[in-house]
Amino acid sequence: MESKHRIQITVNEEEHDLLVHPNRTLLDLLRYDLGLTGTKEGCDEGDCGACTVIVNGKVMTSCLVLAVEVDGAAITTIEGLHQGDELHPIQQAFVDSGAVQCGFCTPGMILTTKALLDEISDPSEDEIKHYLEGNLCRCTGYTKILDAVNNAVQLLK
Amino acid sequence: MKRFDYIRPGNMADAIAALQANDEPYLLAGGTDLLIGMKTNAVKPKCLIDLKGIPGIDCIEYDNGFKLGALTTVRDVEVSPLIREKIPALSEAAATLGSIQIRNRATIGGNLCHGSPAADMAAILLAMNCELQMATGNGAKTMGLDQFFTGPNSTVLNRNEVLAQIIIPKEIGQFKGIYLKHGPRKAMDIGIVNIAILLDADVSSGFCNQIMIALGAVAPRPIRAKKAEALLNANRLTPELIQEAAEAASDEATPISDFRASAGYRKDLVKNLVAKGIDQILNSKDPS
Ligand SMILES: Cc1cc2nc3c(=O)[nH]c(=O)nc-3n(C[C@H](O)[C@H](O)[C@H](O)COP(=O)(O)OP(=O)(O)OC[C@H]3O[C@@H](n4cnc5c(N)ncnc54)[C@H](O)[C@@H]3O)c2cc1C
Ligand code: FES
Ligand code: FES
Repeated sequence: MESKHRIQITVNEEEHDLLVHPNRTLLDLLRYDLGLTGTKEGCDEGDCGACTVIVNGKVMTSCLVLAVEVDGAAITTIEGLHQGDELHPIQQAFVDSGAVQCGFCTPGMILTTKALLDEISDPSEDEIKHYLEGNLCRCTGYTKILDAVNNAVQLLK
Repeated sequence: MKRFDYIRPGNMADAIAALQANDEPYLLAGGTDLLIGMKTNAVKPKCLIDLKGIPGIDCIEYDNGFKLGALTTVRDVEVSPLIREKIPALSEAAATLGSIQIRNRATIGGNLCHGSPAADMAAILLAMNCELQMATGNGAKTMGLDQFFTGPNSTVLNRNEVLAQIIIPKEIGQFKGIYLKHGPRKAMDIGIVNIAILLDADVSSGFCNQIMIALGAVAPRPIRAKKAEALLNANRLTPELIQEAAEAASDEATPISDFRASAGYRKDLVKNLVAKGIDQILNSKDPS
């Protein structure tokens, strides 16, 4: 009972073979076991989106995912986006648009934007708002974030 | 979260066996309700049985009617081209649940089994006269969704039963539907009042062949507004009759007052939203 489980996951294209207790969330695994602290913990109950990561192409709040559930999955965190010394175009767009203040929401915002643009390359404003509903920002007032998403669309063309 | 064991059965029989063999077992679907309960110690499973390893349990099948596997995610319901084409009100209701991150995890079966009176999938599926198929220790069992909910966060499901499939009858394809969710925020919140209406009417004469009206968040469980439906069925939908039915629906609601809204406000909302919903269906250019 309650023993550790072995999981094999790929995080940002690096393979990991790990032993985890079933009550370890994916968020805690990333932050504390793998040291990937770009993924933030805000509410710990699915409301804020700060802990958003991409699992097999889909955005999820990692605070509501158990590590044992994602055995075999490919996971992308904010640390996996840059290419060498270059920021990912979506990261660059957030910088250029001034869409970052304290930065706490930013990793989640950028990953959700990535999932959006992977799905819809040129989204309407309504589509952007619907997709980003689960990412809260206490600083920017969202206008600059919308600008950043639109800028990213241009940069990715 | 407290410690617990984790099992991921590869088929339904093993899932049922695991339910019977373990102490304090809980079924795990998307976990978006369950993990919240576990984090607050409201529920303390000793063993989680993850249903996501059962092949085919997240399917969307269409054969005039729909068969939806219980583990189909709310996001898959939202974006399914077949659902958008044949029964768009279901896709619209799905789009109102939580956020994209939640919808990618949350399942329709979990939404029903959690038993919240405000569950978005519950109201729309109740209006669609769905049937549920359960796997149990003694074989399969079928029942109407109207028999399923027993009170706030409770259903008829026994500990050794698993919801396997949700069946939407083929007649539903000829209805136009609407889902209205009213709340202080447009996103990321459960509704103060949810209304689902399915209407089969002759648009030119305004004659109502059949209507189904489900109300969410205004009673201990999602309910059908039977009196309102009876007033409208096989009648011409005049503004006066619609108003009368909207008032009947409001009388059928038995909401509570809580921090989200008072009971009186909820009853007024039911009246307004039922009338508005019927009007919107009758006046929609693009039938849905
Ligand atoms: C931030 C946030 C926002 C939310 N917003 C909404 C909203 O707007 N509207 C809304 O309706 N809900 C909302 N929810 C609640 C939740 O996301 C939904 O109810 C969801 O559909 C639950 O499904 P799940 O697969 O995650 O269920 P789980 O959490 O896995 O399970 C829920 C319960 O059902 C049982 N169960 C699950 N599947 C089965 C099965 N096949 N057979 C038998 N029992 C089963 C489990 O044992 C558990 O008791 C929200 C939740 C969060 C965290
Ligand atoms: S920390 Fe996960 S959604 Fe807020
Ligand atoms: S930049 Fe501070 S929360 Fe968004």
